[in-house]
Amino acid sequence: MKNGLKLFLGVFAALALSWVGLLLTAHQQIGRLGQFKDPVDEMLHPQPLSGLAVQGSLVYQDLGCVSCHTQQVRRDGFGADLGRKWGQRGSYARDYIRDSVVLIGQSRLGPDLRNAGNLDLHPYADADYFYRLLYAPQSVAPGTNMPAHAFLFEVHALAGRQPSTQAIKVPGKFGPGAGYEVVPTNRAHSLVAYLQSLKDTYDYPVERSRNASAEKPKEGGH
Amino acid sequence: MNSPDQPVRTEQMEIDASAKWPGLALFGSALFWLLLGGTLQLIAAIQLHTPTFLAECAWFTHGRLTPAAQNALVYGWGINAALGFGLWLMARLSATTLRHGGWLLIAIKFWNTGVALGVLGILGGYSTSFELLEMPRFVTLILLVSYAMMGVWAVTTFSIRNTENVFASQWYLFGAAFWFPWLYAIAQLMLFKAPVRGVLQPVVNAWYVHGLYGLWFVPMALAAAYYFLPKILGKPIANYYLAPLAFWWLVIVTALAGGSRLIGAPVPVWIPTLGTVANFLLVVPVVIIGLNLFGTFSGRYSALAGSVTLRFILLSAIAFIFASVLNLAFSFRGFVEIAQFTLLSELRDWFVLYACFSSAMFGAAYFILPRLTSGAWRFPSLVKLHLGATLVGVALLTVGLGVGGWQQGHLLTTAGVAFGEITQAMTFWFTLRTAGFAVLLFGHLAFVINFMGLLCPLCTCCKKSTADLGQESSAEGHA
Repeated sequence: MKNGLKLFLGVFAALALSWVGLLLTAHQQIGRLGQFKDPVDEMLHPQPLSGLAVQGSLVYQDLGCVSCHTQQVRRDGFGADLGRKWGQRGSYARDYIRDSVVLIGQSRLGPDLRNAGNLDLHPYADADYFYRLLYAPQSVAPGTNMPAHAFLFEVHALAGRQPSTQAIKVPGKFGPGAGYEVVPTNRAHSLVAYLQSLKDTYDYPVERSRNASAEKPKEGGH
Repeated sequence: MNSPDQPVRTEQMEIDASAKWPGLALFGSALFWLLLGGTLQLIAAIQLHTPTFLAECAWFTHGRLTPAAQNALVYGWGINAALGFGLWLMARLSATTLRHGGWLLIAIKFWNTGVALGVLGILGGYSTSFELLEMPRFVTLILLVSYAMMGVWAVTTFSIRNTENVFASQWYLFGAAFWFPWLYAIAQLMLFKAPVRGVLQPVVNAWYVHGLYGLWFVPMALAAAYYFLPKILGKPIANYYLAPLAFWWLVIVTALAGGSRLIGAPVPVWIPTLGTVANFLLVVPVVIIGLNLFGTFSGRYSALAGSVTLRFILLSAIAFIFASVLNLAFSFRGFVEIAQFTLLSELRDWFVLYACFSSAMFGAAYFILPRLTSGAWRFPSLVKLHLGATLVGVALLTVGLGVGGWQQGHLLTTAGVAFGEITQAMTFWFTLRTAGFAVLLFGHLAFVINFMGLLCPLCTCCKKSTADLGQESSAEGHA
């Protein structure tokens, strides 16, 4: 190779090819994916997040939860995601159109969170559970290496007052001790609202064929 | 290129002199980020087995430290070192001086300011959480403009070349100089400026991450290998006629392989399938490059004893092959089912960034820096220490992340094992991982001390001893 122009054109074409072939083609295919209207009850799915949950998703972003948590359930027969109760079905592309920022993650140092707020799978996962998990992870998940996020809470001395209605109950050795209360900040409120909103309970009839059964007829179909 | 006659020698010295300040500024800032990023990485690694460590402060929570460390290493160390090496090599191979270096110094300052703001932004809570694009949006423009001002030197230096032939290293340098800003600009555009919807965001992200490793870090490492092997061994690249084929095949296919990171993800299945096919096609160029590099090495392994650069380059070449094998393994569904989301997938990227790219840059730095400063490494024992620490660290991390990741994957795919038990079972591997990063950081420290010694103005007082060493090391280069 001696010709600089040819080199430049080749270099340009290599990346342009992958941009068009991969990104633009994918965008053409699923870039306009919309909500699905259930034919029976005429509800739209997936339903949008509440305002507080959207704020919580920003906290999720800024704390870098994605460093250790994925948000994608692999389908039946590929990993043990369903066996671990991380979802009732594999995730569909359509599940994600409600999120303005989609963080499916690349590490499972912690469990998958796509259905963290799904009470059918985790009946214990109420708001209190998440507050305790964030304030003192060991108090609800013994053996975990999740770092405490105590900076999302304020510890006040009671000094004879009634504790705040929002104060969380932290079991003895994990809490600040008698005479103190632990109150979640707004950031903790919104983050927990976001975690509770994480559930893909609706199974789209149009997508069902893309999930578990795909393995039998021919491998890697669709 | 290798003729030792007088005119060529003077020309090389002129080029080295023209590249002195930009080169030192780039390598200096690269080393600063290498130490800082390594320290952050070490703290984050400690937190995996001692979760209370620095957990009180939001700035040092694990979720922020991990991306901050990675960004410092990729944009601080990676881009600075690659440019320090790349601009010098482009000038050498184009047989022309690096002109108007003053402007380059300004661009370097802006680039490093941008990276500093970005890393602080991540720690301060402005992370976007997209892998390798975590830096807050306000630094994007600073980074793009300052990169453009640095990258353009590679292109202009190439375009005013005084040589007839264009050597393999130049293809890789020239390509990488273009690919990084394009990848970065497109990713920024499609994720932040005019964000695509839904799962297209992870697709764009995967395309960018794969492109950054495969079309920036790998080409830089290969440029170093293609240059230093014939230079130091004094023989041409074996089967050189195959090198252009390998270049085009490698870059076209790598650009298409990004989807292979999304196997099992909720994206249209053709995306990971295309990536998988691309990864299989990569076998051919990897074999050719292996023939080129190891064919050149063959029969000359005795030369390793005399050259630190050569030893680092050999490590980098072996790492390139290993990283390619690992990349191929991540195309098999059975392997991915277990290895995905574990320490093994961390190993895949870390190996490219560290064992393949960073080793090549260390090798290059040991060759280039004494020539830029017309000095010599003052502490040969620290050079050995650095090499030893690199080898031990790479071995520890390969075993730790590889075996540990495999065990983690097996436990994750066994639904009966509670999650807390997995974490407990992994404690040993997390500790080994910390040890690996600590050893590497120790080696970097040795390298930085040596670098300071090279710059130290007190050098004149020990000129006699350094002069001897300098002769020796320059003889190695021009043999």
